[in-house]
Amino acid sequence: MFKSTMLKLSYLRRAFLACAVLFGSMTQAEPMTGLGKPITDAELVNWDISVFFDGEGLPDGSGTLEQGEAIWGTKCAMCHGDFGEGVRGYPKMMGADLEEFQETAINNGFNVENRGLNNMWAHAPTLYDMIRRAMPYFLPQSLSADESYAITGYTLYLAEIIEDDVELIDADFLRNLEMPAANLFYTDTRPDVQNTRCMTDCFEGELDVTGKLVQGDFSGGNE
Amino acid sequence: MSDRKSDELEHVDNALTDRRKFLRNGVAAVGSVATGAAGSAVAAEPLAIPQTNKMLGRPVVHAPYGLPSKFESKVLRRNVEWLTPDATASISFTPLQDLHGIITPAGLHFERYHSGAVDVDPEAHRLVIHGMCERPMQFTMDDLRRMPSHTAVHFLECPANGAMEWRGVQMDSVQFTHGMASCSEFTGVKLSTLMEYCGVSADSTWFYAEGADGSGLQRSIPLPGARDQNGNPLTEFDQNEIHKDVLIAYAMNGEALRPENGYPLRLVVPGCEANMSIKYLRRMKFTNKPLVTYQETRHYTEVTDDGRIRQFTLVNEANSVITYPCPDKHMSGKGFYEIRGLAWSGRGYIKGVDVSTDGGKTWREAELVQPVMNKCFTRFKIPFDWQGDEHLIMSRAHDDSGYVQPTLKQLRDARGTNTIYHKNSIQTWRIEQSGEVKNVQINNA
Ligand code: HEC
Repeated sequence: MFKSTMLKLSYLRRAFLACAVLFGSMTQAEPMTGLGKPITDAELVNWDISVFFDGEGLPDGSGTLEQGEAIWGTKCAMCHGDFGEGVRGYPKMMGADLEEFQETAINNGFNVENRGLNNMWAHAPTLYDMIRRAMPYFLPQSLSADESYAITGYTLYLAEIIEDDVELIDADFLRNLEMPAANLFYTDTRPDVQNTRCMTDCFEGELDVTGKLVQGDFSGGNE
Repeated sequence: MSDRKSDELEHVDNALTDRRKFLRNGVAAVGSVATGAAGSAVAAEPLAIPQTNKMLGRPVVHAPYGLPSKFESKVLRRNVEWLTPDATASISFTPLQDLHGIITPAGLHFERYHSGAVDVDPEAHRLVIHGMCERPMQFTMDDLRRMPSHTAVHFLECPANGAMEWRGVQMDSVQFTHGMASCSEFTGVKLSTLMEYCGVSADSTWFYAEGADGSGLQRSIPLPGARDQNGNPLTEFDQNEIHKDVLIAYAMNGEALRPENGYPLRLVVPGCEANMSIKYLRRMKFTNKPLVTYQETRHYTEVTDDGRIRQFTLVNEANSVITYPCPDKHMSGKGFYEIRGLAWSGRGYIKGVDVSTDGGKTWREAELVQPVMNKCFTRFKIPFDWQGDEHLIMSRAHDDSGYVQPTLKQLRDARGTNTIYHKNSIQTWRIEQSGEVKNVQINNA
């Protein structure tokens, strides 16, 4: 008698739990109201400064290399060097020329320190975006749209991607500029290796084992 | 009243006698075990009563937000000073050698900044969602916390984890070879919840996320149909799987995110290079093309040994490492050890981990410690009897996609040594006869 009541109770309990689960999912379906506020593009002018690879998002404005040179001297050279060579370990503007860059990669030479605007940047508008939002490093988002054009042009000049005869850097100029590395990029192909789960007799002969070779003299740059 | 007092005193008295009895018996028992093990008849000194038994401890709320024991003061995040020119564009490493289970304490989560950590005021903070959607919206932190919540445990790993080791052994330390990885429970709002709420268009094939720090870090995240800037499709997995687990998180391991990890809001893109999990998240824009940001061209791309540059290498493939013993935790005498380690895969679940103690000639399957979760650290363990010989110990993980963690030789053969990122190869430690443990590389297998 007592036992069967217990059973009944536990049955009821389970039925109740099932109901609760059902209810749970029903409350999930309640419309999400009263959350957030609509926003317009006009409210986002200061926020949405992102520039796509193809130049979409580049603002109005322009600058010259002379203007860029002046900004470089006061706001950039202390870290990136007078000639963009990079000082105290900060990144350089011009890396190895494309031929040397590719050769070191193919021959497994050391190419990590040879990188710069002329061999790792696929699109000029990206450079504008990065400088305008993140440089100078100690005071990001302090450059105007015009100043950003001028200094973007100047870094391109330091990296020997453009000559000093360019008169005006603006949206059209950056959109139409082909970066030296533009055609080097390809999209992920992994998995590119296929190991197997060998469990016994997986290797015959002498293992070539090396320990620590060098200490502290490797600079991975800012990777 | 006075009756009650004497009752209590009697209680205390009894407890003290019990404790004395217990200590006497305990010491006798321990003594017999010790002499038994040593096989010697010489009686050992009785154990002293610990000082802490004979004192009153600290009161509650002495540490309103508790700290680890002072004896654990060497368990710290560490950085490598020569690695970067500036500590605000740098990385610190998690001490994996000191951790147990799968959760990384928030204060030991590895750090990676591109312009330093900032203190974002949650009252003023807004998340904006716009672009290809019917209802562009801004949300306060309160709005987000009211939404249907989602909790999941995931690892975050910088794709540069192990990067120093491509050309040879650099670091005799698991903290520095593998410590750019951590694992936490995250709570927040699922991407799909926000996409539905804002009415994101089915034609949107990407979104990008942006942070509110000095770097204004931006990354593009693929959605179904994603193609690169040249019109080539991303892999099936990248297009169709990555976005499903994405979450907009405000909490980590039960507490609010810490400033180092993106307080008050961050994106979490499980399984993918952690650079995509934008911290201090303030904006997400839905698009039909990738931004191709600074991070997606100059960094986080791989110079392969055909002289080209591989981009959108988003997923962290299966990886594992033995965290004990390791160069940071040497052998402490002959006898029993439990080899322990961590395995993880950005494609899903760890299915198994094999361990070798002879340089990869033979392997044994290790035990996986439950729970085993999606895109999450998985703990493995296997017993090991060390008799003072030299051993090359290593672990090899495989995941539910069928992928088996590769050897370093396989990676170098496929990619060269200039790719920096995604070095997920089998790690070898050498146990030396002295009991020291060293980082080594096997170059021909
Ligand atoms: C206080 C030092 C400092 C100053 C001043 C500075 N930068 Fe930088 N710059 C950095 C650091 C650090 C990085 C790497 C940031 C990272 O981790 O992504 C960088 C990266 C760059 C890069 C990317 C280079 C590459 O390909 O690796 C460019 C371009 C750049 N800075 C331009 C500028 C310009 C233009 C200015 C002046 C308006 C400037 N910087 C001022 C520190 C500085």
